[in-house]
Amino acid sequence: MNVDELELRLRRLPGVVAVGFVESDALLLVEIQADSDAGDDLPRAATALAAEHSARPVAVEVVRWGEGGPSTHEARLRFVELTTDPAVGELTVRLARGDHEALGRASTAGGLAAAVEATVYAVRDFIPDLPYLPGWARTVETTPERRFLVVASVTDPMARTHLRGVAEGATPIEGAVRATLSALNRTLSRDL
Amino acid sequence: MVGTNESIVESARLGSGLGTVYRALDEVVDRYALDDAALVVEVPGFGRQVMHAGRRPLHDDEHAMHTAAPGLYLWPAVDDTILSDLMVALGTLALRHDAASP
Repeated sequence: MNVDELELRLRRLPGVVAVGFVESDALLLVEIQADSDAGDDLPRAATALAAEHSARPVAVEVVRWGEGGPSTHEARLRFVELTTDPAVGELTVRLARGDHEALGRASTAGGLAAAVEATVYAVRDFIPDLPYLPGWARTVETTPERRFLVVASVTDPMARTHLRGVAEGATPIEGAVRATLSALNRTLSRDL
Repeated sequence: MVGTNESIVESARLGSGLGTVYRALDEVVDRYALDDAALVVEVPGFGRQVMHAGRRPLHDDEHAMHTAAPGLYLWPAVDDTILSDLMVALGTLALRHDAASP
């Protein structure tokens, strides 16, 4: 199965609206955007198709959206901007939902984990009782186009659960912010 | 006679519909020196479909393609209704063609 065939088969699954790929030597990341018509078995079905297609390990990220109205995208937080201030040693993450924007800051001394930390702090501006704490982030691959594939993790210490997200970015830090947001956005929509 | 883009024509002759759409999106991005492009189509049997240049993930869908009307979306914007209509037609035909192919 070539990538066209894989994409076509994925797009035929109920509720699938968009399919994107990030390919590297070590991993095939498949991102599927789905609407409310998507069933609970979409991740399993998509993973099975992707695994059939690829000889490499496969990571399938399903991004679910709401009821399909014109403002459904507002049920998620958007990544707006990432800035770093080397003089102060601080990075700032700006997120938005509609017109509401929030900032999260962390010391760059924390490396990639600082991106997770700043993102979680920004999310708390929208959801003050967010149970998740910043975890870690790792770059798992650099693509031939010099994009960075990053996995990020956040933890709910009370429930002892972890959320992990995968995303790419122009820098590892941006990838970590996007991966953190990807992990959290899966559970945030009901609280927004 | 206006010159043709042989790679798109070749893709249309021998390749898949989806592959041809992505090649056309790449060509539009190159031709207009754009940052990005996406195509939204409504196709019977598929519903709303978004194709992002380079087959790249939409991530947080910061341009709200999820709820966008069918059309060609370019960043920065280029006002070319004919191009948009042709790309929507190409995307629609491409999915219908691929779906009908064995």
